[in-house]
Amino acid sequence: MILPKFEYKKASSIADAIALYKGKKGKAVYLAGGTDLIPLIKQRLSMPSAVIDLKGIDELKSIARKDGWFEIGANVTLFDLKNNPAIDNFPALYESLEATACETLQMRGTIGGNILQDTRCLEHNQSLEWRTARGFCLRSGGKECNVVKGSKICFANYCSDNAPALVTLGAEAKLAGPKGERVIKLAALFTGDGLKPFAVDAGEILTQIRIPAKKTKGAYEKLRVRESMDYPLVGVAVSSLGAGAKICVGGVGLQPRIYERKNTDLDAGIKEIADKASTDAKPVANAVVSPAYRKKMVGVLIKRAIKRAIGEGK
Amino acid sequence: MKTTRVSFEINNERVSLDVRPYETLLETLRERLALTGAKEACGMGSCGACTVVINGVPVRSCLVLTPEADGAVITTVEGLRQDGSLHPLQQAFMEKGAVQCGFCTSGMIMTAKALLDRNKKPTKKEIINTISSNICRCTGYKKIIEAVEDAAKKM
Repeated sequence: MILPKFEYKKASSIADAIALYKGKKGKAVYLAGGTDLIPLIKQRLSMPSAVIDLKGIDELKSIARKDGWFEIGANVTLFDLKNNPAIDNFPALYESLEATACETLQMRGTIGGNILQDTRCLEHNQSLEWRTARGFCLRSGGKECNVVKGSKICFANYCSDNAPALVTLGAEAKLAGPKGERVIKLAALFTGDGLKPFAVDAGEILTQIRIPAKKTKGAYEKLRVRESMDYPLVGVAVSSLGAGAKICVGGVGLQPRIYERKNTDLDAGIKEIADKASTDAKPVANAVVSPAYRKKMVGVLIKRAIKRAIGEGK
Repeated sequence: MKTTRVSFEINNERVSLDVRPYETLLETLRERLALTGAKEACGMGSCGACTVVINGVPVRSCLVLTPEADGAVITTVEGLRQDGSLHPLQQAFMEKGAVQCGFCTSGMIMTAKALLDRNKKPTKKEIINTISSNICRCTGYKKIIEAVEDAAKKM
C-alpha cells in the first residue's frame, strides 16, 4: 500500500523534536519504531504533514537503575528490554514482552510506541476504500459507532500487552512537551475517550517509563487467535510485591482496568475477583471472536495468571 | 514534494539516491534498485515477506521509510551469495525442500540469517520462535525449520 505525501524530519534531541513539531502547527506526528504508525498512515487513519523521527535521540534509548527506580527510555525496543538482566524482577512485564507481536517486530517496536499504540476495532483499522464503502464509523468522522449502532461513543480496544503489565508494577510515565516536563502515573495516561484515548497534550513526547526497582512475582496471560503474532483479545497482567497484588485487564475496551488487592495473599478469593472482572468487562463485537467468549475469558485468564504468579499451574 | 538524498551500504555496495520522504524502503529496493527479492505481501508489517537485515537486525522493509535507513548497512537476499556460491541457508532451503510457492522464502531466509549471525547454535525452540515472525501460507514450516537447523550445522 502506497503512503500519502508527508515530510520526513529527523530530530537530534527532545527539544529539537518539540521545535520541529511546533513548526508544523500540530500537523506532525512522532515516529519511533513505526510498527503501529506506518500501517495507520497507509490506511489513511493518520494523515500527518510531517513525520518526526525520534530514533536519533540517544537519551530515549537508555535503561538505568536510579534512586530506586528502573528507568526505561521510551525508545528502548521490546527485544532489548526483554533481554535486559533486570527484567527478571518483573515477570509480568517479561511475559507481556514475550507475548507482543513476534521477535522481528519486537526488535523494531519500542516500549513507548507500544504504550501509545492506537486503539483498534474491526470497523476502524481498515483501508480508506473499505471504510468509504462501509460508511465511516464515529471515529472515522461518521455519525455513529458501526459496531454498537446508534452509539455516540467509541468502543475500540486498547491492545497494548505491555501497558497492563507496567500498570501492575506501579509504573510512571515521563512526558516532555511544549509546556515542559511532567511525570504521571501510567494508569493516568488513559482517558477512556475513544476519540482521544491518551492524556497526552499536542506535541508531547513520552520520554521514559519508570518502575519501582523491587523484585516482584507475576504473570501475563493473553487470549489470541494466532499464537505466533497477534493482538490480545484479552490480556491479563498480575504482579505482587509481598502482601497484596495488582491485576490489570487489557484488550477489552478503551483502557486497561485495574484491580488492587491489599494485605491479602495473592491466591485468596481468586474466584471472586475473576468473577468481578468478568462482570465488569463489556466487550462488543469489534474483534475476531465473540464478545461472550472474551467476557468469559477475562475471568479464566485472571485465575490462570494468579495461579502461575504464585507458582502453581504451568 | 521535494526529494531527500539518502546514502547507505547495500549488499557491500555504497548507494546514494534521491527518494520521496514518504517512500518505503521496500519500494526503494524494488523500484529504484531492482532488488525484487524482498516481496510485498500484506504491506502492513504482519507477514514478514519484505524482511531485510538493517545493521544486523531483521526488519520489515514495508514499515521503514527510506530516509530512516540513511547511513545504514543493509543486506537483502540478493547479497547472500558470495563468490558465486550460495549462502548455506539458501543451499539448505533448496536441499530440504523448504520452498513451496516461494513468496515468503526470501523473508524467511533473511530472518534466519539474522538469527544465525547473532546465535551460531540456536536450539530448535529458538529457531521456531524466530521463524514464527514470518508467515508461510503453504504451511511448510517443518521443512523450513529443518533447513535452518541444517544451515546452522554447516556454518
